[in-house]
Amino acid sequence: MEIDSSSMIKLETLSTVSSSPTEKIHLRPMTLSDVDDFMVWATDSNVTRFCTWEPYTSREAAIAYLNDVVLPHPWLRAICLDNDRPIGSISVTPVDKIRGEIGYVLGSKYWGKGIATEAVRLVAAEIFKENPEMERLEALVDVDNVGSQKVLEKVGFVREGVMRKFMYLKGNVRDMVMFSFLPSDSLQY
Amino acid sequence: MESPIIFLRPFNLSEAEDVLKWAGDDDVTRYLRWDSVKTLEEAKQHILNKAIPHPWRRSISLLKHGRSLGYVSVKPDSGDGRCRADLAYAVAKEFWGRGIATAAVNMAVEQAFEDFPELVRLQAVVEVENKASQRVLEKAGFRKEGLLEKYGFSKGVIKDMFLYSFVKDDCFV
Repeated sequence: MEIDSSSMIKLETLSTVSSSPTEKIHLRPMTLSDVDDFMVWATDSNVTRFCTWEPYTSREAAIAYLNDVVLPHPWLRAICLDNDRPIGSISVTPVDKIRGEIGYVLGSKYWGKGIATEAVRLVAAEIFKENPEMERLEALVDVDNVGSQKVLEKVGFVREGVMRKFMYLKGNVRDMVMFSFLPSDSLQY
Repeated sequence: MESPIIFLRPFNLSEAEDVLKWAGDDDVTRYLRWDSVKTLEEAKQHILNKAIPHPWRRSISLLKHGRSLGYVSVKPDSGDGRCRADLAYAVAKEFWGRGIATAAVNMAVEQAFEDFPELVRLQAVVEVENKASQRVLEKAGFRKEGLLEKYGFSKGVIKDMFLYSFVKDDCFV
């Protein structure tokens, strides 16, 4: 049986994710000057596999995305290592007054180190204080995106169920797993 | 219980009086997102502004040209969500317990997949305490996918909801 590189990355994620990452991360707003770091993960098809968008192919398109989507976003943060350069991003998008949907993306070089888990945990710990009206943080994950499901489970999100044939992802209708985290839920470390 | 024969048809302004009978009943609108209409004029506005412009909303009757005794609606999402649609329904209280909502849902599911070719999934959220509506969906072959906590508002109160779905390959019960 052939094991391709994306399976290797997934196996690594499953077996070596620890509850505290090997490198310290912090979150901060993104700026236009982050465009080149953004291109590192946004051009990677391993990273965009479960994203609704295709890998970026031009710096102009990346700048447009930063201007049109990232900068005006109500809550989006760069995930940074000690050198303050982004290696991914995480966001909470309002669905309505009481619900927010969390989404995150991380450069594949940094998978398997517990970084996404730590970023989600940081957000889950702070978002309800910043948004007191929010009653529910939710995440929709493709059934095949096991790595991302593990991230949410490690933080303490509740797996509520599988929504069959819920949405299109790159031309195919996909089953999506619904997760939630409420202000009354406990974070796991 | 044998399923009743029912008819579905688009709404017409001329049926405002019949609509007022069920849309004006708090017991009927209790778990719906909209409040009861209070007057004939409000019933007319409801038909004009909500029922008629809706992408797919049907009046339920027991005779082909009989009076409206409820509604069933299918609202497709758009973009990446164009494969799914939200189902809603209500029946006049005097007609509860006869399988009318189930029959209307069965008919709506069949027609919706024909009328919306991109549709693959019909879904409905139901409050945990609304057991009658859960039974309607289960009898119509919907599957309960999970409990979504603090999922939505109902009459100003945040509620936990069950999520149900019927996917194109599912069989009618």
